[in-house]
Amino acid sequence: MSTPLSDLMLNDRGFVFDPASGETFQLNPTGLRIVRLLQSGLSHDAALTQMVSEFEVDEHTAQRDFSDFLENAVRLGWRIE
Amino acid sequence: MNRLPYIRPNIQRLQAGPVNPFRLGSSPSCVEIDGVPVAELARNYGSPLFVFSEKALREKYREAHRAFSRRYPDVQFAWSYKTNYLNAICRVFHQEGSIAEVVSGFEYEKARRNGVDGSKIIFNGPHKERADLERAVNERAMIQVDNIDELLTLASIVRDRTEPVSIALRVHLQTGTHTVWSKFGFNGDDGEVLQIIRRITTLHNLRLQGLHCHVGTFILDPENYRVAARRLVELAIEAEKIGAGQIRYLNLGGGFASHARLHYQYLPPEQTTPSLDRYAEAICETIIGLWPAGRDLPRLYLETGRALVDDAGYLISSVVAVKKRHLPSQMQTAMAAYGKSAAVMPQGNSRHALVLDAGINLLYTTAWYQPKILPARPCLDTPEPTTVFGCLCMNIDVIREDAPLPSLTTGDQVVLHPVGAYNITQSMQFITYRPAVVMIDSERKVHVIRRRENLDYVQELEAIPEHLATRTAVSRPEPHILAVA
Repeated sequence: MSTPLSDLMLNDRGFVFDPASGETFQLNPTGLRIVRLLQSGLSHDAALTQMVSEFEVDEHTAQRDFSDFLENAVRLGWRIE
Repeated sequence: MNRLPYIRPNIQRLQAGPVNPFRLGSSPSCVEIDGVPVAELARNYGSPLFVFSEKALREKYREAHRAFSRRYPDVQFAWSYKTNYLNAICRVFHQEGSIAEVVSGFEYEKARRNGVDGSKIIFNGPHKERADLERAVNERAMIQVDNIDELLTLASIVRDRTEPVSIALRVHLQTGTHTVWSKFGFNGDDGEVLQIIRRITTLHNLRLQGLHCHVGTFILDPENYRVAARRLVELAIEAEKIGAGQIRYLNLGGGFASHARLHYQYLPPEQTTPSLDRYAEAICETIIGLWPAGRDLPRLYLETGRALVDDAGYLISSVVAVKKRHLPSQMQTAMAAYGKSAAVMPQGNSRHALVLDAGINLLYTTAWYQPKILPARPCLDTPEPTTVFGCLCMNIDVIREDAPLPSLTTGDQVVLHPVGAYNITQSMQFITYRPAVVMIDSERKVHVIRRRENLDYVQELEAIPEHLATRTAVSRPEPHILAVA
């Protein structure tokens, strides 16, 4: 069982409640931004481009961290479309 | 548009728990040591770099001395050379009033070269060469006899002297620690030590003047010292009854805990490490309360090492690589069993990892303790479990399995603390050079107290047999040369 990203409940401080499992999570500000972008319907590529434009990060690092982050999210039971 | 500062995106599963080192909010950091920026130290003296705070050494010594001397009239600290025998460190303690406690001829010689008179040296240890014993006898060192062979060697050394030589006996006792250090000295619980004392009374020119017991290391319960002190007093009274004369000193050894944290230690050191006052109370109250009325109290010697030096030592190291570590669930359990994991964190089955430019060859004590690892710059992001690898080409080179660290990148410096006890003396040259050691004095001046090693130093004792002296020609080019040709 995994929870679609769109079902996760977030607040502005990065606190996440998964209503399917009852678990809670903490996102750091960058992680929160990624989840928000994906929840808004952006594709992975578009979300990555947006991250690079918003944060002081090069494309290579952003891409590596973006993939790691999504991989981790899947392991924690989130469904990434 | 101004871009925002970037930190590596992270998710952390939350869990309830009374003591969670992975707390939310900003990460603690160590930007400077005694007012000197860590970045400046690394820039000027290289990375990795051991750093000692002279101020912390002196303050800790004074705290310890105060704790005991305000409870007991005749206290003498002896600096435990094996804990850290860098000359500068030893000399700080000698300046403060410590005599020396040594456990080999090598350490004895070091103490003498540091200006310590032979009569101000306590000579301990299970192996003392005959020549070293002869020197110690001639220089009136306080020899603490470990075993019967040593006693008989001493007896043969002093047989023809014109005046008797005073000695002490090392005793091991059941004090409530989970293991008794029975490797050392004579058994004080089953009558062995009294038999030895009787034997001493029959030996020409040997006089018993002291009893010594070192309970163990990193003893978190002062009550163990209360038991040791009580038993030593009882043995001293017994010794006098069987004709050994009055015991002039009791030596309670060392073993007081520093603010290091053992693997699997649940509570942080701030809550578990007893104050030096508590150790002092347990020892001094007991001796004063049980010593026969009307007799002069024996001198109390203490050989505490770790508690005085550990917290004053830091290691600056740099991040050289950032990795992701995948952990199958069974491996998480195995790691915990291996002993370097304080807790198995349910962080999916992957973990961030860092490689530092220092390895466990410099941090021998990480086998038992988990040093704090702090970034050398302020970090706003939440710490997450991070495996910290050393730089050695060895799979066992893991400094911390799960240090709570913020997002760090190559070139960032971290500070490991406390690392002042035993890491210098037990470090080994392996794969790369051992780093420099500096000491920051009370006026924030930085002094190099041991230079970084170099190839000449490492090879100084090597010799090349004559038939290998000429370089052998290698005629075949290596494949990688062929590939680019």
